[in-house]
Formats: sequence, C-alpha cells, structure tokens
Amino acid sequence: MYDVCIIGSGAGGSPIAYELANAGFNVVVLEKGENYTESDFNKDEIGVTRRDMFTPPLNEQKHIINEYKADGTFTRYDGEKSGWNFWNGSLVGGSSNLMSGYFHRLKPNDFKLKSVYGEIKGANVVDWPISYEDLEPYYDKVEKVVGVSGKIVKHKQQEPRSSADFPYPELQTNGATKWFDVACKELNYEFIPTPRAILSQNGLGRNGCYYSNFCGSYGCASGAKGSGRAALLQKCNAKIITDAFVYKLESNDKKVTRAYYYTSHGIRHSVQAKIFVLSAQAIESSRLLLNSKNKYFPNGLANSSGELGKNLIFSAGGTGSGRFVFEKLTQKQQEELMQVGVFFNRSLQEWYDYKDKGKKYKGGTVDFLFEHQNLISRVMREVYDENGNLLWGDALKDKLHKRLTTSRMLTFEVFNDWLPTDKCFVGVDEKVKDKYGVPVGVINLYGHPHDLEVGEYLAKKSVKVLEKLGCEEISYDISAAPPPNLVAGGCRFGTDATKSVLDKNCKAHDLDNLYVSDASFMPTGGSVPYTWTIYANSFRIADVIKAQLV
Amino acid sequence: MIVNLRSRRTFLKAGFLSSAVFLMDGCSLFGITTPIDTISVMHKDLFPEARHLGITTNSYMYIVFSHPRISEKDKTFLKNGVKWLNEEALKMYKRTYTKLSSPQRQKVLEYVTQIEWGDSFVYDVMNYMFEAMLGDPVYGGNNHEAGWKWLNFQGGQPRPKKAFL
Repeated sequence: MYDVCIIGSGAGGSPIAYELANAGFNVVVLEKGENYTESDFNKDEIGVTRRDMFTPPLNEQKHIINEYKADGTFTRYDGEKSGWNFWNGSLVGGSSNLMSGYFHRLKPNDFKLKSVYGEIKGANVVDWPISYEDLEPYYDKVEKVVGVSGKIVKHKQQEPRSSADFPYPELQTNGATKWFDVACKELNYEFIPTPRAILSQNGLGRNGCYYSNFCGSYGCASGAKGSGRAALLQKCNAKIITDAFVYKLESNDKKVTRAYYYTSHGIRHSVQAKIFVLSAQAIESSRLLLNSKNKYFPNGLANSSGELGKNLIFSAGGTGSGRFVFEKLTQKQQEELMQVGVFFNRSLQEWYDYKDKGKKYKGGTVDFLFEHQNLISRVMREVYDENGNLLWGDALKDKLHKRLTTSRMLTFEVFNDWLPTDKCFVGVDEKVKDKYGVPVGVINLYGHPHDLEVGEYLAKKSVKVLEKLGCEEISYDISAAPPPNLVAGGCRFGTDATKSVLDKNCKAHDLDNLYVSDASFMPTGGSVPYTWTIYANSFRIADVIKAQLV
Repeated sequence: MIVNLRSRRTFLKAGFLSSAVFLMDGCSLFGITTPIDTISVMHKDLFPEARHLGITTNSYMYIVFSHPRISEKDKTFLKNGVKWLNEEALKMYKRTYTKLSSPQRQKVLEYVTQIEWGDSFVYDVMNYMFEAMLGDPVYGGNNHEAGWKWLNFQGGQPRPKKAFL
C-alpha cells in the first residue's frame, strides 16, 4: 500500500508528489497521458496546435456542453460533433507543460470578495476560509522551487510579499516593449513587468530560457518553463504510472479505499493508499467524484452537501488587439518590432480594484503580448477581405506578404472574475460514455452579466494604450465564452460542511483521507491565471498531509 | 508519394482521394473525377505562388485524409465539396472543374465562394494547403523552408524530427 496516491500530475498534483516523496513517503501518481521529457518537445505547429497531439481525440473522449441563457433555457452541444474541446493537456505534468506561465498572485481582497465588494444578485460569491496571509508563504515557495522570473515595481495594487523581489531576473523583452512603457507613462498608467514561470537563467538544475519563439501551447525543450514535470516530478522519486485513467474511487463511509484505473487498452488496475489526492483538473475531478457514487454517498463521493460540481468558474474577460505597421515606424523601430523570440511581458493591474460611477468594483488584470507566432494560424486569419469575401491568388499573396512582413499585432488579454452561479456546474451524462465506457462530464455554462461589464471596463482602458502606441485596426472582444484552460471550482472549500465539499485544508468534509488539490477548491477565482495559486495551495496541502502521515 | 502510410486501413482511407467521384445531373452521368485531381488543380488556382516557390502541396492531402486526428465529418465535407464544386462546373460550363480553362475555373470559384458550403469548402482546402506550404518541412511541403523564407519566418526550435501522423 502506498502512503499517498495522486490522481493527475499537473500543477495540483505535482507539488504534493514532490514534497511527500522528498520527505520519504511512498507516493504514486496516476496520469492518463504519456510521459515526455525536454528532448521530446518540439515546435511542430501542425502536430501541437492543429492536430492537438497532447489532448485526447474528441471521438474517444468528449464533454457534453449545455450553454445556459439568463432565462434558464440552454442549448446542448456534443463535444465531438461541435468540436468544442475542453481538454488542456493529458501528459505527465498536465497542461502546466503547455502554459505560457503568466504568473500573478491573487491579492488579499480576492480572499474576501463578499465582505469587501458585497453580494451580487444571481452570483454565489463567498469569502474564502483562508486569507492571503495563509497562502503567501507558499506563493513565495513557488517562486523559489518552481522558479519565477520578473521584477517587482512599486504600484498601488502590489500585494504584500515576504521576499523583496523574484529570485530570477526579468526575461529579455522586445524593443517595442519600451514604447509601451512610454505610452503608459503618458497615460499615467502603472505598468508592471509580467512575472513568468520561466527561468531567465540556468537554475534549479534546469536550463534557462532559450527564446524559442514558441512558448504558450508548446512543451519547453530546455526545462526553463516551470511545468509540474520539469520543476517538481523530475526532482523527486514519486512513482509515476502513465496511461492510467482513473474512473472510480472506492470508499467506505469514512475513507477512500482504492482507486481504479483503465489503461488505453481497457485493462483494469487498482491502487491502494493511505491518502488519496485528486488533481485531474476542475471538470474531471468533479466528474470522477460524481461517477464514484456508492451506497454511502449515493449522490457522488464526498457529496453529502450536494455542492459537488457546483459553482464551476472560468476566467472572464476577453482579448483585444492593435497592429503596428511599418509605415508609421522608423527603420530602427521596424527592426525592433520584428525581433522574435524575446517577450513583450507587460501587464496592467491598475484597475484590479476600481470605482465607476461611485460604485466599488473588483476589476482585473490585463496582460499584453504579441500575437502568437503560429504561422499557419496567422495566415488563415488573413484569407478574407474587409467585406468578408475569401481571397486567393495574387490578391491573397500580396496581402499575406505585406501583413506578415511589414506589420505585427500586439494583443492584450483581460482576466476578471467569472462569478460563480447556479447555472455553471459540472454533471455527468449517464447515457453518453467515453472510450473507456465511463459517463462523460457535462459542462453547464453561464456567464454572469456583471463579468461582461467589468471586462468591458478593463478592455476600454487597455485600448487607450494601443491608441497611444499608434496601432491600427484596434478592436476587442469581451464575451462569456469560457477559456477551457482557465477553469476552477466544482469542489469549493469552506468551513460549513453543508455548503462546501472541502474543508479549509482541501480535505473532503465527508472523508478522512481524500484531498482535492487542483483548482476545484476555489470558491471565487480572482482575476489572474490560476496556475500560481494552484501550485501554492498544493504546497500548502502537502504540509497538511505530511502532518497527517507523521 | 512521399507519405509513409501506416497501415492498410489508412491506405484504404487515403485511397478515396484517388477513387472516382461520379457526377450526375438528374439521372444521367455527366462526368468522373477524383478528389485528388480536383484539389490539386484548386491548389494551383488558389495560390500559384506555392509552385513558384518550388513547393508541392497536393500530396499533403494524403496525410489529411489518413489522419486519425481529422474527423470523418471534416473528411466527408471535403469529399462532398469536390463533388459539389464539379457539379457547379458542369452546370456552368458542361465540363468537370479540372477540364476547364483557368478563367473558367476562376469563375466557378467566384460563384461557389458566395454560397455557404462553397465558402467553407474553399476555406478548408486553403487551410490544408497552407499547412502543407507553411508547416514544418517534415510534412513534405514547404520545400527547403521556402514558404517560411518567403514570409521572413524563422520557425521555432527545436524542429520536429518526424511528422505527427
């Protein structure tokens, strides 16, 4: 019997594997996908981003998606037929291998949204059972153990820190970044260098960034990116079993007793452990618990509260863009603009918290970055003229050459709270099975109108920077479309066992030995990408489990 | 053909590209074509610059039609698009698309791209054509990175050692 069995090897599972294995405990990690090392990763646009080599084929594993309207009616989509894909990365280290590594901490008010900003009608906003101060030492630990690069600059939204600065200096930036800085100063906006989970120099037994020109969506071939695999799993002797899809947890009334898994060939295995940690990413973790119902827990494992799967959240917001064109730039500026590989790395948190028309709002973060280098995608965005007609032949040739060689798109991404609601939750469809014969997850989606209002506010402020920079074709799109890679909730933590699935240490209220350590625990999501918080919270849980095992 | 076909099953699937498509007008047989013939000519019509750069894109379609990660729905749509395009060509000029003159083919493209299915079909054909032209040379197109050089594109490192099939 193992001391600890971890289901899922991404940002939620890997810190616990690292901490407990290095503390001498017998740890096994069950991962559905394959194992890759740095030497396996490459920058094949077709394989990675167009044939989705790191996620399951939708004809084998899919979701059912119900998109809700405000009146409670919904439209049902079959993931396979619609191509709506909520998988993020089935491989050792999970989607942390493929992240861009934009690392922002939550801020103290994110832990007490209800107390600070009040109730919002139609949203299930609650305070967290822990405070920023509880998590701060673990954010700090992530900086040092996973590796975060950046530079602390003074600004009004800066959260308290126990270390003066990041352990790794800023990554190199493109020449156009300094134009951005000037524009922000003229607008009186406080910009910050974007902290990244990417080593800017060799350290922690890993190579520094080599500026491959292809970061987000791709595996890192140097180990600079702080994936759970490169930073943690490769630094411990936890046993990793790949090709292990866990479909059921068996329990008695007090404890999980066994995890059952299938290999891709349908061979069934099981694992026994003293403690089980679930970290399969938010939707799949809720799905597994719902599919593990038994006589003690007829509505799903650890679901005596009826809250399992509820209050699923994503990141609200959207994107915007503007185009730098050579005609407006000097030759030196043109050369600076076209430098590739190096990063843009600028963020605005000026409106993480703001007042509009006398009302106090929780706002969010805006990250600025160049359009992804994926060439085929960039080309396919140019094949229509301004009237929506397809172009081809010489007209397309001339347009492509001009656009791709004499201009460059600067984009921004808005992150604000996706408010938890009754209409956004995870279920299972007993009639629709995946290739293993297991009921698929049902993703019920609803974006609260308040999310759009805040997103619009942030986008309009961000557009001013693009205008100041002299960009053309400025536009933005704030919508309720959920980013599949920014998902949390479903097993919210809290002190009241009738209103939450997990206790404040992310242990199931109902079971003595089940923890959930991915983003499922989050009752509200904050206004930043989740990965840093998942890592930090997972290190916190590791300390709790260590104390339980000793 | 430059593609290594992995199994008899994928070979049979890809074989559809060179099998006959029978084109009917009501109850009479008007013509016969193959998807690969039609798509090859479309590639020349849609982006002749590829040939000028020494890039061959049509053989990449064998990868597309045998790829397990491209859905049967998408493949069927491509096959149907070939049939519908030729039927429009027959209606307009009484000949299959490949047997038309270049100006006639342009007229057919102009006509079908104003129709919903035609717009989607030509978009899909271009999508795979640009994958061949601008994807990694390991896929058999983008000869000596000619497509990348044309757009001053540096690619990313490391490059794939083999195609993801």
